[in-house]
Amino acid sequence: MKYEHCIRCTICVENCPVFRVNPEFPGPKQSGPDAQRFRSDGKKSVDDWVLLCSQCKRCEMACPCGVEPAQIILRAQQKYGLEHPHTAAHLLFANNYYLSTLGSMTAPLANRVAATKIGKKIFQRLGIATYIPFPKFSFKTLRQEKKTRNREVRKVAFFYGCFINFYRPDIGRKIIQILQSLRIDVVLPSQWCCGLPALGNGNLALARSFAAKNVASLSNYIDAGYDVVYTCTSCGLCLLHDYQGIMEIPGAKKIAENSYNVHEYVLKLIAEQEIKPAFKEVNRTLAYHIPCHLRALEIGYPAANLLRLIPSLQCRILDDACCGLNGSYGFKKINEATALQLGGRAVSLIKKTGAEAIVADCGSCRMQLSGLSGMEAFDPAEIIYESLGIKV
Amino acid sequence: MSVIEYDVIVIGAGVAGLTAGTLLAGQGLNVALVTAGEPTACLSTGCVDVCSQNENPLQGIANLPDLHPFHLVSSETILQALTDFQQVMTDMNIPYTGTLEKNRQVISAIGTFKTTCLTPLTMESSPQSIDEKIQIVTFTGLKDFYPSYIISRLQNASFSTYDARVSTTMGIAAKFEDDAFLEAFISWLENLNISADKIAVPAVLGLESATAIMKRIASRLKRPVFEIPTIPPSMPGRRLFNALKDHFRSKGGVIYWGWPVVGVEKAGRLIEAVTAESRGRPNSLNARAFVLATGSFVGGGLHAERDTIVEPVFGLPVHVPSQREGWFDQDYFSANHGIGQAGIMVDTSFRAVGCPWDNIFVCGAILAHTEALKNGCGHGFAMTTGHAAARSCLEYLQ
Ligand SMILES: Cc1cc2nc3c(=O)[nH]c(=O)nc-3n(C[C@H](O)[C@H](O)[C@H](O)COP(=O)(O)OP(=O)(O)OC[C@H]3O[C@@H](n4cnc5c(N)ncnc54)[C@H](O)[C@@H]3O)c2cc1C
Ligand code: SF4
Ligand code: SF4
Repeated sequence: MKYEHCIRCTICVENCPVFRVNPEFPGPKQSGPDAQRFRSDGKKSVDDWVLLCSQCKRCEMACPCGVEPAQIILRAQQKYGLEHPHTAAHLLFANNYYLSTLGSMTAPLANRVAATKIGKKIFQRLGIATYIPFPKFSFKTLRQEKKTRNREVRKVAFFYGCFINFYRPDIGRKIIQILQSLRIDVVLPSQWCCGLPALGNGNLALARSFAAKNVASLSNYIDAGYDVVYTCTSCGLCLLHDYQGIMEIPGAKKIAENSYNVHEYVLKLIAEQEIKPAFKEVNRTLAYHIPCHLRALEIGYPAANLLRLIPSLQCRILDDACCGLNGSYGFKKINEATALQLGGRAVSLIKKTGAEAIVADCGSCRMQLSGLSGMEAFDPAEIIYESLGIKV
Repeated sequence: MSVIEYDVIVIGAGVAGLTAGTLLAGQGLNVALVTAGEPTACLSTGCVDVCSQNENPLQGIANLPDLHPFHLVSSETILQALTDFQQVMTDMNIPYTGTLEKNRQVISAIGTFKTTCLTPLTMESSPQSIDEKIQIVTFTGLKDFYPSYIISRLQNASFSTYDARVSTTMGIAAKFEDDAFLEAFISWLENLNISADKIAVPAVLGLESATAIMKRIASRLKRPVFEIPTIPPSMPGRRLFNALKDHFRSKGGVIYWGWPVVGVEKAGRLIEAVTAESRGRPNSLNARAFVLATGSFVGGGLHAERDTIVEPVFGLPVHVPSQREGWFDQDYFSANHGIGQAGIMVDTSFRAVGCPWDNIFVCGAILAHTEALKNGCGHGFAMTTGHAAARSCLEYLQ
């Protein structure tokens, strides 16, 4: 943490989506470097408003001085978590992985309950917002998938993440097929929640226990010559940044050095002239909503670079707006107004482009944006799949 | 290490880098812009200072000291760069007004007059003298705007306060994007029965629709309305940055955020790649040519150590004015600190003097002898040198 590098330029404040719409939140400069001066003796407790930070990391991407306000606030949130009893919503979202496992095992029932009035009432009593439908569990998760055949070029271990596994395994299957069609061998290693939801809900210990298990599992594959690919941008951020950073997981450096965003990986193999995908035309006009955590990964926008290779595809990049949902953040009642206002703004920017559909790498962005706009929202992999004309 | 190949990599997302990148991308080159963070433009008034030393900016430039890098470009290039800029901003719905023949005055958040060349249309009606009749509107709780200072300097001005239910520049600007909010504001203004000739508001008229919002208020109130830039966070500066950035992208340019360049790979007289630190793998980007537009001290392009000043990316030779004692004037607010001369000296091809590599072009506030504060050589200088460096880079690549 480099809070003493802050020159008080307020560029982070200009970029904070929450500060823009929620007067209760004093913004990244005050909650980050400014307040840190007072917290750094370790004695002073942190204020309630640190919880209003959504950890979108936009402040960090904008700061010209490398101060990392979001990181300072994240640490304050953990301190808050230790000093206060956890609310029901915080506990539920931190443990989302276990709940989702249960949910997908009983998918038809769980989905029906979540959609009923009573289900919604229960959600509200627990402090969970219900302005967009809760995502539907999928009965056949990705991890029940069979092993895949051997291919020549490279072999990868796919870290698919909870969202794909429990809610949209169909996208996971498409990603596997894309990679296979490019002659890449894909395996699905044992994996757990990346830990980000636990971290975001002030439960560092739980996050670390997930992380340690993932590091052990992925390490084995890396040692056996596999590269790791991930698709969820928040999982990626957690694997690459938080395992080494705030979680201090032994062996995390190896994971970071060998893990790639799936599109970044494909681009890399194209650049190394290992593969030559034949993209066929796709007649769509899309607005590419860049998820905050993709931006925070500091790898550019690899899927956008791939989409540029698709003939006829019109794709406008929008990276100034946060969708407002931020994983579980927007599902909490106290953040509902913030999430709705930010979502509304993101949708209005999308509508201005005249696009017919949305594309975004992050499942929770897609849920929010299609929920609020009524437009279809795709994962970039779905468009690439379409362009490659893969026949199963 | 992930390796990606571009024709040109521009380092720095300021006015200089974005201008250079847009020109190169517009020529069909594959351009990536990498940046540590957002530029000083976001802190600025959004007005484009070319040279504020003279009523006529071109005359002011002619009078600058011999070593000033503005002398490396012809007046045609300056005119071209500024004309291009005005065209871009018109296309992006943030039109600018003004000409290179005459500077204009813009009133500031503390009531002083700032000399500048081009201003956003939303500041076109800013008073040119202290006796104009002006009704100022401020907002409850807004801390970055000082109407009582302004009326103490203007002879015929008064102010009223509107409660927007939020009190920050960004928050109020976001509300103005909402039609119902704007309508309520206009009705409130109508009920004030304003007799002054003009209406002034702090620069909070929307995030991106400022021109349209200003025009709507003006037509309903039947008199000119203008924005007064606030101290940062500054909306007009952010609108300028956003428009240049979106325009660069519309030309096919690619941006890497959070990408502070920390290392370079070289081969003989060429730089082959730049690398950024990341907590994951070190990232590396290859290109045939590089444009260095990392700004001065505030932007991060120059770094002062105890007795020397360094350029951290390529380690280019830096012109350091005198000994450390000569770096600072006694008066803190002076525009004449010797350190303002520090920077990279370049030749007419915008290559650094004494640089061992042929494929780096340097532009913007990082250039030596600019003395931006003293000479009023701000965005106008950055876009001109950005334009010139890009032309030189293009010539090299062909
Ligand atoms: C507070 C303030 C107010 C101003 N107001 C005005 C005004 O109203 N009107 C006006 O005309 N001028 C104004 N100026 C001057 C004007 O902003 C600058 O002269 C001009 O815009 C400089 O642009 P630039 O592109 O050269 O550099 P900068 O704007 O400094 O941009 C430098 C960029 O490089 C990036 N960078 C730095 N190091 C690295 C690295 N190692 N790797 C990657 N990226 C890096 C930075 O993050 C930044 O994006 C103001 C300046 C300041 C500081
Ligand atoms: S944290 Fe960074 S962006 Fe925010 S005020 Fe400090 S220096 Fe500026
Ligand atoms: S992480 Fe996002 S919400 Fe939190 S302070 Fe930074 S910009 Fe604001």
